[in-house]
Amino acid sequence: MKRFLFTLLSFFIIFFLLEKASWYFINKAPEKEHDRRLEKIVTGSFNKDLIIIGSSRGVNNILACQLEDETGLSSYNLSYKGVDILFQLFILETYLKFNPSPKKVLLLLDHKHTFAKGNPLFFRDDLLFPFSKYNYINNKLIARGKRNYGSKIFGLLRLNRKDFSTKKKKVLPNEVLTDCGSMPNPIKRPITLEYQDEKLIYQVNNENPKKIEAFKAIQKLCQTNNIKLITVFPPNYKAFDFGFMKRFNQLNNSENSVIIYDTLNPIYKNESIYFDESHLIRDGAKIFTSEISEFINSNK
Amino acid sequence: MYFNSLDFALFLPIVFILYWFVTNKNLKLQNALLVVASYVFYGWWDWRFLSLIVFSSLVDYTIGLQLNHTAQPSKRKLLLWSSILVNLGFLGFFKYYNFFIDSFVEAFSFFGSPIQPNTLDIILPVGISFYTFQTLSYTIDVYKRKLEPTRDIVSFLAFVSFFPQLVAGPIERATHLLPQFYKKRKFHYSQAVDGCRQILWGFFKKVVIADNCAEYANQIFNNSAEHSGSTLLMGALFFTFQIYGDFSGYSDIAIGTSRLFGFDLKQNFAFPYFSRDIAEFWRRWHISLSTWFRDYLYIPLGGSQGGTWMKVRNTFIIFLVSGFWHGANWTFIIWGFLNALYFLPLLLAKRNRTHLNVVAQDSKLPSIIELVQMGLTFGLTVIAWVFFRAESVTHAVTYLKGLFSSSLLSLPTIRPTNLLVLILFFIGIEWIGRRQHYAIEVLLLKQSRVIRWAFYMIIIAIIFVFSSDNQQEFIYFQF
Repeated sequence: MKRFLFTLLSFFIIFFLLEKASWYFINKAPEKEHDRRLEKIVTGSFNKDLIIIGSSRGVNNILACQLEDETGLSSYNLSYKGVDILFQLFILETYLKFNPSPKKVLLLLDHKHTFAKGNPLFFRDDLLFPFSKYNYINNKLIARGKRNYGSKIFGLLRLNRKDFSTKKKKVLPNEVLTDCGSMPNPIKRPITLEYQDEKLIYQVNNENPKKIEAFKAIQKLCQTNNIKLITVFPPNYKAFDFGFMKRFNQLNNSENSVIIYDTLNPIYKNESIYFDESHLIRDGAKIFTSEISEFINSNK
Repeated sequence: MYFNSLDFALFLPIVFILYWFVTNKNLKLQNALLVVASYVFYGWWDWRFLSLIVFSSLVDYTIGLQLNHTAQPSKRKLLLWSSILVNLGFLGFFKYYNFFIDSFVEAFSFFGSPIQPNTLDIILPVGISFYTFQTLSYTIDVYKRKLEPTRDIVSFLAFVSFFPQLVAGPIERATHLLPQFYKKRKFHYSQAVDGCRQILWGFFKKVVIADNCAEYANQIFNNSAEHSGSTLLMGALFFTFQIYGDFSGYSDIAIGTSRLFGFDLKQNFAFPYFSRDIAEFWRRWHISLSTWFRDYLYIPLGGSQGGTWMKVRNTFIIFLVSGFWHGANWTFIIWGFLNALYFLPLLLAKRNRTHLNVVAQDSKLPSIIELVQMGLTFGLTVIAWVFFRAESVTHAVTYLKGLFSSSLLSLPTIRPTNLLVLILFFIGIEWIGRRQHYAIEVLLLKQSRVIRWAFYMIIIAIIFVFSSDNQQEFIYFQF
């Protein structure tokens, strides 16, 4: 028995020491990423007056550099494509944990998808994987059941198959990050859009309670950190969703500001400023960002 | 508790230490520890399931003793049937109740008399098919006087609930496993190291091969209508390796864990994908179940003793029952039927016991003929697995139609290079170790410790990296 335990122990000590080599790949993983905003958040590299959180509507439709120029508030876009409000809460929590509090937070809403169950928006764990060298990120992945507790000890358990590739990830034209964190769509998608004019019915029973809680948590975080929360309804190539608006008003604290795109502005019914029915191209984003700047300037 | 969980990684060393260092001087205490550990292991899923396994164990323990006291054949038969009814009754209720109700409803609707279904929200207790067969084998063997019934209730409870093989086998016979609880176990260095090696290989099969194949198999099977024939073929191949890696991986972990406690379990898989015909495949796939059906169903039905018709009938019965054992779905029954059909020509030509040795026994590579035989057998198995994996018979038929279409010759849209390389590596290692109980049993044993350990460490590293990507439940837990 002694021999067995000694052999086993020796084996695992040697393995434990050798597996530390995996940290080479763990440390290299962020370098392959084009989008390293999450790393900047975790390393406390920000000190901004205004941050933008949201999904693709946030990252495409608001040009943070333009906002900075027009309002004089240092701004950064921390929106991510395909993410839900739970992920947006995670970004805000992380930001506040490692960086000085901003004065304002712009929260871009996804209309009926904001609180809805299931897809198309979700908590994108894949955005966290390349940065699992940071314990905070790894702990979040453990809490979400995407890593096991062993990853606190073994580097190999923080790795993914993809981390062994030395190639930098491909970046599509609409994934190019600008200096202030926005990713404007350069050109329109080669499809014909049809303006949807029908009145939408909002379904409360299709809500995910966790997403409602996340929205409440965002409001509370802003309140306790003395941050002005501004929720934003971005334009879509369809009629305004009054049903969602009504529901939103039930959940929103009255002290928060709300920006709704100018529904009477005919430009938002012009197909040429849209990438697809829910996202603007750069020219459209410029128009929408100006609207937001105007609002901020008039409410300083 | 899953083998591939942190819970088990903590549970196993604790039980191991208590077993060899605290309770080692007292056999009864050691067995009692195994019972408690097994119940903790099992109750980890849902403690309510424990009542079922305890009840089933007590019924068979009592019936076993009663059988010993009774010489009257009619009374003995009554006792045997009581055990069969209780055990199969539980199994039937938990596993097949809704299936029968749904099938009746469908049948009535088909004949124009729709009825309201009255299905129940039943949770299938993990491993019920496995431990039911294990306890049944005990009672049948006692009834047939092949085995003395035990008076040692702790040993009996430990035999039924022995945690390494409780939820997914191998299905052990009382004649083989129960006596091991009566004797004091001695710790053997070589046995324990061998156990660790087998556990390692089991994890490799499960975490690296099965779980990663599952990712692609699910992707393809869940959207089969959208894929070309060649991609559907990839999906079927991925499932073929998934189910083998998953199930034989579990068996390896179970057998290896048992060896750490000084127990010897029977081999459950003997490199089935290197079989040269379907008969050989069934001698190598899920051996503990196949032999169970042989001994407790096929032989009592007359086995091969009668004429050709009798043999054919009995063969179909065991394959259909085997299919039904896997699950309450027509897909499993068709899978069993298909395998019986594959078996039929061999049976009629009396060639079902042609390949009793290991393929390429004395050479490194197979001959051309052996290669063709293995390819054909493997191909037939892949087709049958489509039924096993599909959601319904219609899904399986549509899948196969899509597979055997003109797009079979196109380039598959899903072809993960890393995984394909790993599968080739896996096949290579399995081929090298095909004469052993598991692939790496003697691999590199003649090499220096540095080389051997380096190999094991690489395997662990691969397991670690792949374990973080996507973990899947063991398929056979659902049976």
